[in-house]
Amino acid sequence: MNKNKLAVLVILFFAITLFGIATDGFRAFTSETARSLALVKEKPKIPDLILQDSKSRSYSFSNLTKGKYTFLTFMYTNCGTVCPQLEMNMEDVYNNIPTKYFEKDLVFLSISFDPSRDNSEVLETYSSYFDSDGEKWRMATVPNKKELEHLLQTLGVVVIPDGYGNFQHNSAFYLVGPDGHLIDIMDYTNTTAATNTVLNYLTLEGGD
Amino acid sequence: MKQAKYGLLLYIFLALPPVASLMESVMIVHMHMQLTLLVLSGFLMGTFFKQRFASFFNNWNQSGVPGVILAVVIWAYWMIPRIMDETLTMHSIEIFKYISLPFLVGVPLRDSWKKVSYTVKHILYIFMTINFIVMGWIYVAINQQICNNYLLVEQRTLGFGSFAFAACMIIYGFIWIFSERKEHQQSS
Repeated sequence: MNKNKLAVLVILFFAITLFGIATDGFRAFTSETARSLALVKEKPKIPDLILQDSKSRSYSFSNLTKGKYTFLTFMYTNCGTVCPQLEMNMEDVYNNIPTKYFEKDLVFLSISFDPSRDNSEVLETYSSYFDSDGEKWRMATVPNKKELEHLLQTLGVVVIPDGYGNFQHNSAFYLVGPDGHLIDIMDYTNTTAATNTVLNYLTLEGGD
Repeated sequence: MKQAKYGLLLYIFLALPPVASLMESVMIVHMHMQLTLLVLSGFLMGTFFKQRFASFFNNWNQSGVPGVILAVVIWAYWMIPRIMDETLTMHSIEIFKYISLPFLVGVPLRDSWKKVSYTVKHILYIFMTINFIVMGWIYVAINQQICNNYLLVEQRTLGFGSFAFAACMIIYGFIWIFSERKEHQQSS
């Protein structure tokens, strides 16, 4: 009987250790949260790449975002499920941030991972749905497939084609710091929290 | 011993790389067939281990309760969505799957099942049924991708599959209760 009790204790101890290790100390039960935790800890540098935006302009990511915070999302315009919600919530955050910050401290950027369909005209139409002005909030795609893949991989964006011309993908708000490193990943369903996070970073910046 | 051989055959079959990758490509097959078949292979192989390591099992699993707890814990571990993703991307987790499910769920369950009381059996049975209902409900109701490697549609399918599993368990549960009662009446 004693050995039985000991065995139960050992098993329970083993279980707690196993679950603890497997979930980063009971914090991440899905690989999506695990991914965010790891990325925010790692703060990867965003690889430089050429963007093509809704106004048919081409420029590099680093030129656009140098010295600014970048609020980033990933989408494709043909998407009927998550992306409209994601972009609508992005609009919500966009509208809640005072315009003065957009002068030199902040830029909003929606990147399409479907460059074959999302050309400048398509993006222009799409941006009109969300009051994105093409300046403070830009919509762009990455024409170079290799650069795009590298970017998605760096930020852990998993895109799976579903075989019907659509994509399944994970969604989040990304915040990139003025030095070009990722600093935060935010839940795209909680716009109030996201707005506060962004404002916190901005006022930190303005304080010094 | 014949059972153990069939168990080993099943285990080898499941471990064949083409079989494994085919099963893992569909979410519901991965969770409801591969995982359960791995447990079954361990359950069948259990007869061999029970003979070979009789004293070990008698010493450490005399009441059968430790074995049941171990099986439940490991099964619960494989219900963490993150682990399902990692088994596809990390070799160590995949190997752990092939060790833990047959040898830490199937084998101990085989040893414990004959030893534990009806109460423990009933608790375990009800726990598994509730587990399937809750998992099914989560996978059907949630509108977000839980596993990055599988589509939302597959997630829903899996949810309904879990409901089906739970339904079968409930029906079998009734049969079980009534047959037990009959046995009782006949013996008394």
